[in-house]
Amino acid sequence: MPVISMSMGKAPAGINPPVKMLNPAADPRKMRRIIAEDPEWSLAVVPSLKNLCLQHIVNHFEEKPILNELLPSQKAFVLEKLPTFLPLSLTANLISDEGYWRRCCEDRWGQRDVSEYDLSWKRMFFERHLENIIELFIPDQTEPKSVLDVVPLCQNYVRRLKITQLLPPIRKPPKFNEDDASESASDLGDDGPSIDHFDFRILLNKLTNLEELQLVYGVRGCGMNFEWNLFEFTFSDCQFLAKALQSCTTLKILKINQSNVDDDKCRTLVSNLLDHPSLLELDLSHNIIGDRGARALGKLLNRSHLKQLDIYDNKIKGPGAQALAHALSKNTPLESLNLRLNQIGDEGGQALAQALLKNCILLNLHLGANELTEPTATALSHMLVHNSTLKRLNLSCNRLGEDGGKAMEEGMSHNSSLLECDIRLTGVRLESEYSIKKHLHTNQAKGRQDTAASR
Amino acid sequence: MSRAGPGELSPAVESDSPEERIAARRLRIAARTEARTRLELGEEAQEQEENTEEPRTSQKQVDQSEKRMLKLQTDGTELVTNILVAADARETKRRAQLAEARRLRNEKLENEAKSSLEKFEEVTQNWPVAKAKEIPQDLRDALKSQQQLCMLITEDKNKLINELQHELKSSDDRYVKELKKQAEDVDLMREKMQEQMTSLMKLYRQELDLIENSFDDERKTLLTSNLKKWEQQRKERSDRELEHLLQRIKQKEENEVLLHRLRVANIKEYNMMKLNLETQSEILQQNIQKTKATNQLNQEKLEYSRHVITHRKMETIHIESLQRKRILRLQDSLKNLKVKCASQEKQAQEENQSLTDGYKRSMLEYKDMQKHLRHFAAVDAERFEEIWLMNENEAKALVHKVLETDRVIYEQFLGLAWAPPHMPFMENSGPIQPQHQAQRTAQQFAMQALGEVEEKREMEGESSTAEVAGLDRRTVKKLLELLCDETGFLIESKLLKLLSPLEKDPQSFIKLHLIFSALGIENEEDVYKMAEFFEKYKQQQKDQPEEGISVSNENELVREMDSELVHPNHVVKALHAFTAQYCRPRDLQSQKQSSVLSLEERDDSEDAAYWESMANVIPESKLKVWNALEDALSKYHTVLTERSKILTDTHHLKQQNAELTALLHQYLSQKGNTELKIPPTLVMQLTSE
Repeated sequence: MPVISMSMGKAPAGINPPVKMLNPAADPRKMRRIIAEDPEWSLAVVPSLKNLCLQHIVNHFEEKPILNELLPSQKAFVLEKLPTFLPLSLTANLISDEGYWRRCCEDRWGQRDVSEYDLSWKRMFFERHLENIIELFIPDQTEPKSVLDVVPLCQNYVRRLKITQLLPPIRKPPKFNEDDASESASDLGDDGPSIDHFDFRILLNKLTNLEELQLVYGVRGCGMNFEWNLFEFTFSDCQFLAKALQSCTTLKILKINQSNVDDDKCRTLVSNLLDHPSLLELDLSHNIIGDRGARALGKLLNRSHLKQLDIYDNKIKGPGAQALAHALSKNTPLESLNLRLNQIGDEGGQALAQALLKNCILLNLHLGANELTEPTATALSHMLVHNSTLKRLNLSCNRLGEDGGKAMEEGMSHNSSLLECDIRLTGVRLESEYSIKKHLHTNQAKGRQDTAASR
Repeated sequence: MSRAGPGELSPAVESDSPEERIAARRLRIAARTEARTRLELGEEAQEQEENTEEPRTSQKQVDQSEKRMLKLQTDGTELVTNILVAADARETKRRAQLAEARRLRNEKLENEAKSSLEKFEEVTQNWPVAKAKEIPQDLRDALKSQQQLCMLITEDKNKLINELQHELKSSDDRYVKELKKQAEDVDLMREKMQEQMTSLMKLYRQELDLIENSFDDERKTLLTSNLKKWEQQRKERSDRELEHLLQRIKQKEENEVLLHRLRVANIKEYNMMKLNLETQSEILQQNIQKTKATNQLNQEKLEYSRHVITHRKMETIHIESLQRKRILRLQDSLKNLKVKCASQEKQAQEENQSLTDGYKRSMLEYKDMQKHLRHFAAVDAERFEEIWLMNENEAKALVHKVLETDRVIYEQFLGLAWAPPHMPFMENSGPIQPQHQAQRTAQQFAMQALGEVEEKREMEGESSTAEVAGLDRRTVKKLLELLCDETGFLIESKLLKLLSPLEKDPQSFIKLHLIFSALGIENEEDVYKMAEFFEKYKQQQKDQPEEGISVSNENELVREMDSELVHPNHVVKALHAFTAQYCRPRDLQSQKQSSVLSLEERDDSEDAAYWESMANVIPESKLKVWNALEDALSKYHTVLTERSKILTDTHHLKQQNAELTALLHQYLSQKGNTELKIPPTLVMQLTSE
């Protein structure tokens, strides 16, 4: 589009026109009556004063932002021409036009899906901006001020923070003699206090609209520079985070994945999240939580409004599952529980099945890959006869065996609420699997009819 | 709906039979209500209708496709999740293997540790043995054996380390393999998802096409049916329109004829009207001209008057300024006057003070004077008595003298026997103490009046005063009764209560007593006065309103009515007037008397009578006799005097006669008489004849 660029280039020249206008014939544009390819072309040889003024406003927007005083059409003109590199302190609270923020986002990160951000380009821009700042924050080296400066600008727009990495502080001395010291440093983890990550206490209580927080205490794409301490979630980190979470009363969803959260950290987190006013979803999957952590989570279930708890891929065994089952039996508001890839065994499975006899709120239960066997299957079938709220049950990758399959089949024949039951790779015979599926289909059809009727 | 009516066999409103018409109207009403409800329900109702109307094809198709798609979706997700489940299973297997390996390794390590500990203990046990050995060779052997043992231990350890390192390497390989496998899995999953996506898209499109086709078909059928209906109705409509058109053309022609006629008539009328209006407008224009002229005149007049007014205004402004100045001046003077007034007031106060002092002084003087007065009065009284006694003695002497003369007259002149007259006063000596013949009080009078009506006639004879007043007792009584009834307000309410149990007469008497005391009536005279006043009042009243009415005085009854004196309603007014007229002056009098004659007052009313009686010792008849006697005596005297006079006269005349006769004789005896024709003697004879 050379024509456009020319016109753009000429616009400032139009302010002091006389010299260049002398020879109109030299410019081929001047010889044409209509220039169809230029959407901004107009018949007027000299741009109108209005346009000149608006162009001036655009050029000097940084010194003198005039926007809200303009008429809607003029406003649109200015917003279309504003450069995307204007300081945020100027634009954050002044411009609400989505088009401008879309240009900002696309200039910075290319094409993105805005549907994740409630179709708000501005929200997307600020969330991603803040995420970038935090992800690139190096403790002791980056000034905390750099984060705090952005907070007042973006606190009205940030709803979700999806932080995929947190950098540890850079330790200069071991890096100098990396060859011999690296191994010892990584193995021993000698200097403790300096490997704390970004302190969330300074940030979370200022973000008044924050609803979702996703954290990974680790370094993304470290490649061959792998060191264990890059992935260390220290206890003081945990304490800071817990305090920060307590101060953030608008938080609804909290996800801390792949961060080596062990029992003690889990307990400190839980103790600070007890009676949290708004928390609805907690995801601690891909950690190393054991039975004590599970017990703490059971306590949290009883003293919060949690609706979804994801603790798959942890190290919860029978006692932890029993603690959770005990919490469930008290009819907590929990609707979904995911215990995939744990080792609760028959001990925990039976306890959960018995808890579900009393519970009438839980809708989803995932017990995949949990070393369950036949006794659990019989307990679950007994539960299925009496429970009428559970909608989805996943028992895949457990060795239920043929007898267990039969027990499940029998339990299913008395149930009319379960819509999905995953029993793949459980050693169940095909016949019982088929009959269970058939029964599920009837239940699904009934559920569909019910929903159609309710509509 | 109603438009479609005539096409079908529905009842028509313009039909002949009444039943059909009723039915038609009912249908029309129903159609209207239906239309209204449909409007209210809006689009929802329409949609519902569609839904209810067409479950046959499209809905079925939608349901079918939905089911199919759901099944496909679940199958697809199962396919995709299969990978996940497989990975999970593998993971669990791996973990189990890892746990198993760890257990084995631990066991091995423990065994190793145990064995190495045993060996180490063996070595440590050997140390004292070695220490005990003193021969160097033995020591060397022992050391060697120890070394060998240590070597064994280290070998074992090294072996273990190697094994573990091997295991580590193999697990590293496994990890790499696992990573690869997982990457493959992820790729597979992505592929499958892609496939699923594309197939689902394809299928969705197909289903969508199917559904669309079914909807299209439905629409087509609906369209054709609607078109048919539309065509039919359009045809009907065009037919009807044609009919209407023809009718209209006919009507139009008729109307044109009518219009033409009307137009001609209107034009005529218009012309007439025009002429009329033109003449009127001319007249009006003339009027306008006239009014313009008058207007001009008026304007000039107004101009003149405006000039005058402005002139006046100037004058008034001038006067106003003058007045203002005057006001200022007057205000100044007012201020001066105020000052003066204040000073005057002060002066007056001072004066007042001095006057009050003077008054006090004069009061003192007055009291002194009174004292003196009393003293003088006492002295005067003494002197008076003395003078009185002297005068009386003198008078008595005179009386005696008179009586003596009287007796002389009677005895000597008249020759009558004389009896001395009765003279009670002669016994009196000194100033008389008048026996105050107490006038009958009003109360008594009232009592009498009320109580002794029967004795009226006799009383009439006796009481001369009543006769004098010219009022009969009856009217007085009536008046009193009236008073009694009407002026109860003068009596205290408490008293009235007390009086209520009494009989009528005493009650009214007490009442009257109270009323009199209130009115200030003290004695009988006052009562009569009052009665008279009432009479007069009545007269006035009657004169005023009843002039026109001829009152027949002959009728007794009417007199009775008149004798009611005053109408009860006017009693109070009359009383008021009476008290105003009479009671006030008397009060003043009485006040004066009481104030001046505070001393013992002597009643000199009787004195005159006393002296009179003394003067009238000789009664009138006697005086007349005296007078007659005097007259007779004086006449007698005159007669006597005349007789004496006449006696002297006769004496004179006799003398004269004698002279005259002498003269006559002389004349007659004279010679001349004889010579006369007629002698005087003759004449004298004649005359004497």
